[in-house]
Amino acid sequence: MRNTTSRPEKEHILVCLSSSPSNERIVRMAGMMAQAFCGSFTALYVQTPEDAAMNAEDALRLQANIRLAQHLGAEIVTMHSEDVPTQITEYARLSGVTKIVIGRSGAQRRHFWSEPTLTERLIALAPEVEIHIIPDAEVYKNIHRKRPMAIRPVLPSFRDLLLTVGLLAAATTVGWMFLRQGFASANIIMVYLLGVLLTSAFTSGYTCGVLSAFLSVLLFNYFLTEPRLSLAAYGSKYPITFAVMLAAALLTGTLAAKLKAHARLSARDAYRTKLLFDMNRQLQKAETPEEIYQMTATQIQRLMQRDVLIYPAHAHALPDGIVYPADGTGARSVASEEEEQNVIDWVRQNRKRAGATTEVFPEAKRLYLAIRTGQQIYGVVGILIDQKNQPDAFTSSILFSILGECALALESLRNAEEKEKAAVLAKNEQLRANLLRSISHDLRTPLTSISGNADTLLHCYDALDGPTRQQIFTDIYDDSQWLTGLVENLLSVTKMTDGSVKLRLSDQVLEDVVSEALRHVDRRAKEHNIIVDCGEVPLLARMDAGLIIQVIINLVNNAVKYTPAGSSIRITAVQREKAAEICVSDDGPGIPDERKERVFEMFFTGGNPIGDSRRSLGLGLTLCQAIIHAHHGEMTLKDNSPHGCVFSFTLPLSEVNLNE
Amino acid sequence: MNKPLVLVVEDDTPVRNLITTTLKTHEYRYLSAQNGAGAVMEALSHNPDIVLLDLGLPDMDGVEIIRKIRAWSNMPIIVISARTEDSDKIGALDAGADDYLTKPFSVDELLARLRVTQRRLALMKADTPQESPIFTNGALKIDYAAGCAYLDGAELHLTPIEYKLLCLLSKNVGKVLTHTYITQQIWGSSWENDIASLRVFMATLRKKLENRKDGQQYIQTHIGIGYRMLRIE
Repeated sequence: MRNTTSRPEKEHILVCLSSSPSNERIVRMAGMMAQAFCGSFTALYVQTPEDAAMNAEDALRLQANIRLAQHLGAEIVTMHSEDVPTQITEYARLSGVTKIVIGRSGAQRRHFWSEPTLTERLIALAPEVEIHIIPDAEVYKNIHRKRPMAIRPVLPSFRDLLLTVGLLAAATTVGWMFLRQGFASANIIMVYLLGVLLTSAFTSGYTCGVLSAFLSVLLFNYFLTEPRLSLAAYGSKYPITFAVMLAAALLTGTLAAKLKAHARLSARDAYRTKLLFDMNRQLQKAETPEEIYQMTATQIQRLMQRDVLIYPAHAHALPDGIVYPADGTGARSVASEEEEQNVIDWVRQNRKRAGATTEVFPEAKRLYLAIRTGQQIYGVVGILIDQKNQPDAFTSSILFSILGECALALESLRNAEEKEKAAVLAKNEQLRANLLRSISHDLRTPLTSISGNADTLLHCYDALDGPTRQQIFTDIYDDSQWLTGLVENLLSVTKMTDGSVKLRLSDQVLEDVVSEALRHVDRRAKEHNIIVDCGEVPLLARMDAGLIIQVIINLVNNAVKYTPAGSSIRITAVQREKAAEICVSDDGPGIPDERKERVFEMFFTGGNPIGDSRRSLGLGLTLCQAIIHAHHGEMTLKDNSPHGCVFSFTLPLSEVNLNE
Repeated sequence: MNKPLVLVVEDDTPVRNLITTTLKTHEYRYLSAQNGAGAVMEALSHNPDIVLLDLGLPDMDGVEIIRKIRAWSNMPIIVISARTEDSDKIGALDAGADDYLTKPFSVDELLARLRVTQRRLALMKADTPQESPIFTNGALKIDYAAGCAYLDGAELHLTPIEYKLLCLLSKNVGKVLTHTYITQQIWGSSWENDIASLRVFMATLRKKLENRKDGQQYIQTHIGIGYRMLRIE
């Protein structure tokens, strides 16, 4: 449940929520502490079986306290357990709580027959956590006295009463038969106890069980003890019998009722756990915020059967909302109404609930809740609600949990996105560093050769014979040409590895692109036989012409470099379904299989140059592949038959409406 | 015949030296200027035959110099720019430049461009009195009056658009026409789809013109810039 998992040095303050009126003060104190320590703040509500029977006044107070805690910046956590202190310490340990704030009287009211107070048990269970006790006694006493009266205002239903009377009558009849048979009175008491047990089990609440317990004693006394048909009893043992019977009956009755209440709570708990588990599992599969919103809306609909409106928060503005109708029809975007917009903005800015059934904008049509973790808001949920159909405490707590799950999922999605971005950035940095290292090394070689050769010509021109001069000039020219090619490639690389590739796409005739590229290939290409075949029908492909020309130049230059003079280099362009395929094939020695996989790697060089020792940066093919991928094409390397290799790549075909 | 006078406008000394040396060895007369103001001055005072203009000058935008010169003269202007600056070249061509050279360029390329421009110049001088109704260029003949084009005496079967394109190119033979200019002339608009269409029509037109054994090229494609009809000797 926790998300702002505190770093060890950070204070984490936990306050226990309850329906007690003194709780408000405790929550406020805890909130102040959290602020003073700049720590994270969690409000924990442990639901006990008794809470199911909470009266309306208490329920309202509890909700007010929950809201107050939320208002103070606390994260609300609801847990279910019978053993409050164990649950609190368990939670405190798991989420690294450093301080627990509770009221002085926190323990007594939770248990009917409490022995050690909550505080005492907390101290015993969690000795490592600081416990702050806030005095709250005087407020608490006034309320506590009223409490037993207020507990069960519910009158038993007619059916329950009928059942009670029927069971009592049956017990009395059986008892009378036992008496006639001369059985001991203990057996008859057993029959009555069974009656009380059955009554408690089949009626709702304690009332019928307790009623049945008293009536059993009376009936037993009236019908089945001497003197019959009178409430008087002979013999000194009877009052004790009655007392024991009453106690046993009361105990049986209340225990059975408690068991039932517990079972009901367990069922609720199971439902809630299942709902949240389902949601959690689904949310983990979600890949976009939209999916998360959709799932959240579906869960809220299942819970409340109402239309759900979600306003995703992008950066700092809320776009139009998405409405998810309760009848399951598709989600659609809606522009929000003017008056509701104020409420939504308020919720977004204050990260608190507002709208119908709250104090803020109570005239709004919907109840608006923030989807948030800590201080980060991810969206606003609007639920159509009116004063009459307010959700009960259980529904609201599930609603909070759903929103919490949703916020967590959105947060982790955002975190994952950021992580991915950082990874891409790091990879680009790495690439750039490698590139620079390699380039600065590789630039030096031709520059040394150019400046050295020029120096020789300047100073020893006359000492050199004609062919030597010619050779030196050729070397200078070749090196500068090599540098030119390198610079062109580098320009393309910077364009590509910037992370944001901005292709200047246009529709180009492939034949033109190929012939343009051939004007810029290595001049040694003249020693090769270059054949171009682009078919009869002009093929138009969508591309960044400059980059694709660079790809073709690199491929042809590679072919020129790695094949002996006189080899054939064939450039073809054909249509393959919705793509154009351009192949550059040669009939040179080819590339061995073990090298094929590596040729597209950066800084991988062929290593076995044919004819001369041209340097290579191992950049060309990597760049080609990157360019083709940026065009959503594929680049492949195959063997040519009988020997040589074929580099081919695809480009998307253009769809052009000819303006005749 | 007088050797043509070339004005070289280039701020980078080694490149200027390279160009002037080339011009000198090929018996051109030349003037040089290092900045835009000097270029306009030289052009005004000496009225050169051809201007070689670097677009990256320190004091003035190349396009501005072209506009200034075009205000009073039709002298051919060849712009020189780096390869990655297509938009600069297009701007210069649209402003009235005739051709362009991309850095780094070879000496052969420079001389070829100068020869093309010289031929154009000669043609301009010969044709100025009135526009001839018949255009001939190598094996290509266009009869503007009849609206027919012939290659080796055989009539070419052209679609109306192809014919319009051919006429447009032939009337500007030797000059690079930008995509924008051509589409504006043919369709009156210059949307992306027009340019894509233009490429298709040009490709088919070239197929019809150049599908011959001698491999003679009539239309030159300048990727990202435009097209030019070459003058055939």
